[in-house]
Amino acid sequence: MKRALFLTAVIIALAVSSANAFELPEWHGFVEQSFGVRLSQDDLTKHSGYNLLEQRVQLKTRYAIPGVNMLSRWNGVFNFKGDFVLDEYFQTTGSYDVRDLNLAFSPASILDIKVGRQVLTWGTGDYIFINDLFPKDYVSFYIGREDEYLKKPSDALRLSLYPKEVNIDFVLIPYFTPNTMPDGDRVSFFDSFQGGITGRDTDNNAVKPALQAKNMQYALRLYRTFGSTEGAFYYFNGFDPSPRSYLDEQNHQLFYERLDAYGASVRGPFMGGIGNVEMGYLHSRQDAEGDNRLIENSMLKWLLGYEKDLGNDLKVGAQYLFEQKLNYSEYKAALLSSDYFWDEYRHVLTQRITKLYKNQTVMLGLFNFWSPSDKDGYLRLSAAYDISDQWKLTVGFNLPWGEDDNTDFGMMKKNKNAFMRVRYSF
Amino acid sequence: MKKLFVFLAILFLVSNAWAQEPSVDEIVAKANSSSYYQGKDGLAKVNMVVTDAQGRTRQRQLTILKLNIKDGADQKYYVYFHKPNDVKGMSYIVWKHSGKDDDRWLYLPAMDLVRRIAASDKRSSFAGTTFLYEDISGRSIDLDAHELLSSEPGFYTVKNTPKDAAPVEFFFYTVKIDKNNFIPMKAEYFDKTGKLYRIIEALEVEDIQGYPTITKMKATDLNSNSSTVTEFSDIKYDVNLNEDIFTERFLRTPPQQWLKE
Repeated sequence: MKRALFLTAVIIALAVSSANAFELPEWHGFVEQSFGVRLSQDDLTKHSGYNLLEQRVQLKTRYAIPGVNMLSRWNGVFNFKGDFVLDEYFQTTGSYDVRDLNLAFSPASILDIKVGRQVLTWGTGDYIFINDLFPKDYVSFYIGREDEYLKKPSDALRLSLYPKEVNIDFVLIPYFTPNTMPDGDRVSFFDSFQGGITGRDTDNNAVKPALQAKNMQYALRLYRTFGSTEGAFYYFNGFDPSPRSYLDEQNHQLFYERLDAYGASVRGPFMGGIGNVEMGYLHSRQDAEGDNRLIENSMLKWLLGYEKDLGNDLKVGAQYLFEQKLNYSEYKAALLSSDYFWDEYRHVLTQRITKLYKNQTVMLGLFNFWSPSDKDGYLRLSAAYDISDQWKLTVGFNLPWGEDDNTDFGMMKKNKNAFMRVRYSF
Repeated sequence: MKKLFVFLAILFLVSNAWAQEPSVDEIVAKANSSSYYQGKDGLAKVNMVVTDAQGRTRQRQLTILKLNIKDGADQKYYVYFHKPNDVKGMSYIVWKHSGKDDDRWLYLPAMDLVRRIAASDKRSSFAGTTFLYEDISGRSIDLDAHELLSSEPGFYTVKNTPKDAAPVEFFFYTVKIDKNNFIPMKAEYFDKTGKLYRIIEALEVEDIQGYPTITKMKATDLNSNSSTVTEFSDIKYDVNLNEDIFTERFLRTPPQQWLKE
């Protein structure tokens, strides 16, 4: 955090020092108050009545490097975006969250470079990620923060190459950033060490890969369009961003197992809408045979999606996700009788409906996950009103449910909430 | 024989008069070309002020880059949002096709997300204004049957009736076209009952690099009693826009040189 503050100070100093000769960069952002009340009391967590109460100030700027120098010739742009958060849930004195702190430039006509802290996204899914193995914040997702906060930034170097035949994105991530997963303080979850849904009583801890050259992550995307259709290949070499494997059962330690992912996607016009297909083979290098009960197996994932504009500002979408745990017989044979076990196949269906009213100033949205195999689901409802160009009010519900306690959505069932956000943009 | 000569002479005069008056299809094609296809490419800063029935206003500010791929048909658009502040930095690409749905992509910088937009309904509001998508990127002239209603001094008035009424909210619309430069000066939309409910009018026309260009226009929705005034500034034609600008690369990395505030 000190580093982030220091860097921010440096940027502001840079910006101000050049202000005499050049235009001051514009600063924009917002001030937001959010509140999320639990729909059922959850005594497992720190506060049984609510799970979101915070004030947030976001500041951002885009600064085109001025003057006559190499960076300005290369269209260099400095990007900064940072949030200052007063999180009353944890009664902290305030924390700083730098989301963008990077320099983007084009040293050659077919090359773009972006270095520094940045949000990275690719793939075709709607709230479903197969080949996008960049870090996410699922706590933000479940408690009702803006969608932006589902994505966490990475400290990375991104090289984008644009030769004639195919576009290439190469991302190097020297420092591992894990997903933010429920940890019991704010959002209860299934803890296999405790044998059920757990809150603050959890004592598990996830061990991050050490900062070493061999632990550097890299990701590659090759993509191009064929007429109106987009095709892409993906490769990822790094770690599972969620701690799914056991390092030390005695001491309740989890870890992020190595992960190699190979995938492909196609997206384009289909039956009057947009269709997409994405697949990924997720290879678990440390349990290639699938016979280690402590380490996550390799997986195969398929996603089919479709979105259509029905007119009158009404859009609908649907997706089908298929997941298969590979080497399932080896996995089953290795399990102990006391182990929790997961099914070989998982099917998830999603539905999205978005309707706009009043010259697009009022938005009603529904997004539903439903897994017939896990017998669980998660309904997200929201309504947003752009009161003016500055003021925006958003209300919504997060409604996860499930028959079992150890499935993805089922474990979240005690975290149903209703939330409200008021934002002033400037 | 003499009678035949007189008949031929009259026929000649009449057809000559017809030749001076272009056909309705020519008028419509020229009007379409002068409103949407001037130059081989172009750009403009666009300021839109939406006023609702209560007099409250909202502002949209964007830069639009345009490249003609095929005259009177395919085009590519790049739209960069400057205002309002909550959408500042978003960018948008349209590949407009004649005869099939447009391709559209939206880039959300906060999530580094390139979203493909399913958008078959071109009669929906453009960015929450009184203008519709078709007002901004043009309506294919093949979608309507055209009829010349009148040819007064200075103006043609053309009635346009959709060949397929299902996807549109209007029953027909009339367009008043300036005879000198074929700029459509006023479009009036009528519903099934024959009631006028929507007006688009050119408020200012200027000569830019030899191309007559609408620099200020207004859309009025008589049903909701709201309107939007759009002003175009810093208009430039034939600046040699590279077709690469209209791709995912420049959605993520906006083309600096064209987007100066």
